[in-house]
Amino acid sequence: MSSTTNRSAARRAYGRYAVRRLAQAVAVVLLAYVFTFLVISVLPGDPVSNVLRDPQNNFSEQEIARIVAYYGLDQPIWVQLVEALSRFVVGDLGVSLRSNLPVSGLLADVLPSTLRLAGAALAVALVLAFAIAFGVRNLPAPLARPLRAFPSLFLSVPNFLIGLVLIQWFSFQLGLFLVIDAESLLATFFAAVALGIPVSAQIAEVLIANLDHEARQEYAAVARSRGLGRARLFTAHLLKPSSLPVVTVVALTVGELLGGSLITETIFGRNGVGNLVQRSVATQDLPVLQAVVALAAVVFVVVNLVADLVYPLLDPRVRLDASPARTKEVSA
Amino acid sequence: MTLTSISTGGEAAPPPAPATAAGGGPQRRGTRLGPSRARGILARLRPSVLLSFAVVAVVLAWSVAPTLFTSYDPAVGVTADFFQPPSAAHWFGTDHLGRDVYARVVHGTASSVTSALVAVAIGLLVGGFVGLVAGFVGGLVDVVLARFVDVLLAIPSFLLAVVVVSALGFETINAAIATGVSAVAVFARVMRAEVLRTRSSVFVEAAAVLGANRWQVLTRHVLPNASRSVLQLAVLQFGLSILVIAGLAFLGYGDPPPASDWGLLISVGKDYPLAPWLVYAPAIVTVATVLSVNRISRWLRTTD
Repeated sequence: MSSTTNRSAARRAYGRYAVRRLAQAVAVVLLAYVFTFLVISVLPGDPVSNVLRDPQNNFSEQEIARIVAYYGLDQPIWVQLVEALSRFVVGDLGVSLRSNLPVSGLLADVLPSTLRLAGAALAVALVLAFAIAFGVRNLPAPLARPLRAFPSLFLSVPNFLIGLVLIQWFSFQLGLFLVIDAESLLATFFAAVALGIPVSAQIAEVLIANLDHEARQEYAAVARSRGLGRARLFTAHLLKPSSLPVVTVVALTVGELLGGSLITETIFGRNGVGNLVQRSVATQDLPVLQAVVALAAVVFVVVNLVADLVYPLLDPRVRLDASPARTKEVSA
Repeated sequence: MTLTSISTGGEAAPPPAPATAAGGGPQRRGTRLGPSRARGILARLRPSVLLSFAVVAVVLAWSVAPTLFTSYDPAVGVTADFFQPPSAAHWFGTDHLGRDVYARVVHGTASSVTSALVAVAIGLLVGGFVGLVAGFVGGLVDVVLARFVDVLLAIPSFLLAVVVVSALGFETINAAIATGVSAVAVFARVMRAEVLRTRSSVFVEAAAVLGANRWQVLTRHVLPNASRSVLQLAVLQFGLSILVIAGLAFLGYGDPPPASDWGLLISVGKDYPLAPWLVYAPAIVTVATVLSVNRISRWLRTTD
């Protein structure tokens, strides 16, 4: 009897938590759009009219008038903001100032390449992080100690450097892949390694800290006293409670995967979102930049929302009905 | 990049367990640098920490007085000596114009170091202020500022830096400002957490009972207690800022050549695959610096 009421109370608590997180996520995405809009418009310079009046672009007077009217460039800034926001809400990302094409189409062209890269990089990062964590806990001390320094080292290397070294070794010297064939499997793999290494450091740090923490718990001591070997203790007892929090960390690294792809795509010559950003920065194509930032914020927020919503279901140690403070700690 | 490494790095600190690292809670204000404590710090100064301080000292010296460390001109080379590999005469070799790469690295240090300092200062001042106000005022102000920080966190920090620098114009100082803007959220977060922790502690309650006003609580208790975590974060961010600014320079968003920021040197060097030292020399300097800075930051966290 009491267990059923407990369970329904827990379900209600989870429902309230889900609704609150959802509302928060929507608010953050909209505000991120507003923030980027303000950064772009408030900062000095008037790139839009620079681009439109640039004789090289060959805009006719009618086209200029149409674009000016579309973006409401003759209106006060808050009117422009409201209009841009109401277009964004219905999924209209605007029109590129350079190519005069819809931004959503430009993004759709380059998105698959970036998603492949980011997905592969995340896989590399996870494999690497778990391998490091396994080594730290299971290898003899003289090997494990230097291994502990790896995450710190990975975080100290500029990620463009990793990319350059990989190309130098594996493409120029060993000829394993061709830089001109950027989308090939091996080229994608090495690009993913370059992007994934710094990300793996963050995951490994959390994983190692969790493993150290779990290894100090009483149940681990009991298991050791029963004569369990190190590797068995690791796989049977320590791994699961230590890796659950990794879900949250992985969600947080999405931002870095997207931001890092800017540099990685440039080095490996991939035609992805990062490349689109580079071109838009060079040509001051603000609607494209604005759309990419909005998209990145949406991806980040959605992934973190999913992680926060799934986490309490995965980890029975998290109890939402106890107090709201606990859930905060988990999502932090 | 920044977010997780800070929020989690604390537990990753090696031997002294997380519990002891965090254990110097609000009470630590009372501990003065007595003789026994000084001895404790010295005992914990491991070789790696000493080496880190030495590296940072050299880098700072390079940025303050580059001419003391090299007699070569960073902008003018002997054209006949182009693409010389590293030797006793040219420690880091020479580039396509016969310029001494070591001299270019040394002379580029000031720009790389000061721009990282500018970035940290912006993040520290703006983010620290936002976090302080949010934590100290609380209520609706806290809710509003917390959303603002969430928004900043939702935009990938490198992308944010690129957008800001493209709006400001491609110069190293603007890259530094952009990097600082992208670090605001992390500082705000840590500062707010520290303020909330201190405010709810017993000794602040005691001070309030004894009649201390809000200003006194702020300046005498909250700020001194928060300064430790924020300082450690600032050191960590200094290393990160070097990497971010190098990344922006690599993409060509900093000062153009003949400036010799580290990121720019690596970027230019990559065009000459037959002279790998053009990439490796500035790269090793960058990695050694950031690694040392990160080591010092970790040491600050475990020293109490």
